Amino acid sequence: PSDGAAPRYKPPATETNPALEDPTPDYMNLLGMVFSMCGLMLKLKWCAWIAVYCSFISFANSRSSEDTKQMMSSFMLSISAVVMSYLQNPQPMSPPW
Amino acid sequence: MPPATQSTQAAPLAAAAAGAERRARAGPKRRRRRVTQELGAEACAWSEGIHGTAGRPAAPSVKMKNLYIFIAVLFIPWSFSLAKYDEFEDGDDIMEYDDNDFAEFEDVNEDAVTESPQRIITTEDDEEEATVELEGQDENQEDFDDADAQEGDTESEPYDDEEFEGYEEKPDASPSKNKDPITIVNVPAHLQNSWESYYMEILMVTGLLAYIMNYIIGKNKNNRLAHAWFNTHRELLESNFALVGDDGTNKEATSTGKLNQENEHIYNLWCSGRVCCEGMLIQLKFLKRQDLLNVLARMMRPASDQVQIKVTMNDEDMDTYVFAVGTRKALVRLQKEMQDLSEFCSDKPKSGAKYGLPDSLAILSEMGEVTEGMMDTKMIHFLTHYADKIESVQFSDQFSGPKLMQEEGQLTKLPETKKTLLFTFNVPGSGNTSPKDMESLLPLMSMVIYSIDKAKKFRLNREGKQKADKNRARVEENFLKLTHVQRQEAAQSRREEKKRAEKERIMNEEDPEKQRRLEEAALRREQKKLEKKQMKMKQIKVKAM
Repeated sequence: PSDGAAPRYKPPATETNPALEDPTPDYMNLLGMVFSMCGLMLKLKWCAWIAVYCSFISFANSRSSEDTKQMMSSFMLSISAVVMSYLQNPQPMSPPW
Repeated sequence: MPPATQSTQAAPLAAAAAGAERRARAGPKRRRRRVTQELGAEACAWSEGIHGTAGRPAAPSVKMKNLYIFIAVLFIPWSFSLAKYDEFEDGDDIMEYDDNDFAEFEDVNEDAVTESPQRIITTEDDEEEATVELEGQDENQEDFDDADAQEGDTESEPYDDEEFEGYEEKPDASPSKNKDPITIVNVPAHLQNSWESYYMEILMVTGLLAYIMNYIIGKNKNNRLAHAWFNTHRELLESNFALVGDDGTNKEATSTGKLNQENEHIYNLWCSGRVCCEGMLIQLKFLKRQDLLNVLARMMRPASDQVQIKVTMNDEDMDTYVFAVGTRKALVRLQKEMQDLSEFCSDKPKSGAKYGLPDSLAILSEMGEVTEGMMDTKMIHFLTHYADKIESVQFSDQFSGPKLMQEEGQLTKLPETKKTLLFTFNVPGSGNTSPKDMESLLPLMSMVIYSIDKAKKFRLNREGKQKADKNRARVEENFLKLTHVQRQEAAQSRREEKKRAEKERIMNEEDPEKQRRLEEAALRREQKKLEKKQMKMKQIKVKAM
């Protein structure tokens, strides 16, 4: 049962719409940016920390076709939000309870 | 608290004003601040460097991504530690500290509590109390001498009786002697200089580290499982297919012999070069072990890895039928989701007990003849033996994927169909898979190969073919009916647009004569159209009769 015909073409686009299949990385990216902007503008430390987490989660769930620049920029933004919050206000974060 | 930018400028000024001692102490801090700034500049330059190389079209490799994330992760603790050390540079309320803590309390009586961040004991100038204080302070000094070399170490706890050994009576006696109470104020957390007050931050960083650890471990496990699968199946695949492994980047069709990693949890393999089929795409869909959130979610809801195989058949190699077998739950779901199953297999999934299949499996079929033809001994043998691993098996000549969500008013043609065989297998272990479990899927691959040959051989008889053709014609008609309304509406709107455009032209015409003539022409055209329509209606009526 080896080939009687010539080898065929390459794989077609393996996913017609990867964005539809799993929107997690995109959502997390957006959420991360929103939280880091909140953290920067409103000087909320916990926002900045959540932004870091969001960008990590987005990275872990990302597809290989996704832009690394986008992810790096969201990551850098969240890190800068954390750093700026602490530079402006070196108090330790207080738990909400 | 003054904003960061102001304090950056204030710091050197304040240092100059305070005196030599202060300057000496502020020196290393200024250096550290400069380093922080340099760090920021470095990060900017680095990110610019990344954006600058945007022109390269090459797909980012997974390794590069990891490298970036590793470097970026280093920034967190470094910048954090630098930020921490700048703590005491801000603010105007910082007093000069000697190594002797006691020096802080020289002016303690006049100043308010907020000024002195250290443990404050407001007392009268009583000698005994002063000595007690001194003893207490010295003991405190000893306690914190081996702690961080920051000035002004404090105790967050209130007055501790144990420190005053041998002086138990005195502190008891003296308050009763003097009417003035000893008030000990709790130092606010942010003014204490200890790591303990930063426990939330430490928790956060620990969480991040845990996430990163899980990412690395999960990624490696998925990788190991994928390669275990491939190593077991490689021989069988290479004996059956000429081209094993292709990632679509090469111009020529050469076998890469490797899995194509799409994700940290999805691996693809394209095989082709076999007589009956155009090609076979195998997708190893692992669980997202690299994402900690997913891992935690899976603890509530167990799930298993899946292997999805999609074989595209040549047009001439497969007859026209739609058939599926699998777990009842899976079939119910597929019947709702898949375009072809919902249109051609109208009945609910039937039990396969008639053919000797276990109860867990059910059958969805276009017509009984197909089921009869498909369920031969070997197939039944496969299905019974590996029933726990089979999620669904679907043979369809009208396969077009899941039902598309169509928007209102959008004209669509019938979706493109392809003759396909789809197999979805569950890897045993339900999450806790080991490489052995991946290896146990090998017989299922033989089933796939057998099915390909079978699909080629199986032909419907005349009756079956007629039924199948009728079904397909019916489906097409239904579709046209649905879209007919939409097409009509589209044509109607187009006609209205034309009319409006003409009216506009007539209105804009300046010459009244021309206007009248154009209006008449438009009227005549409309009348003609009406007449045509009436004729058509009459013709349709005649045909219907």
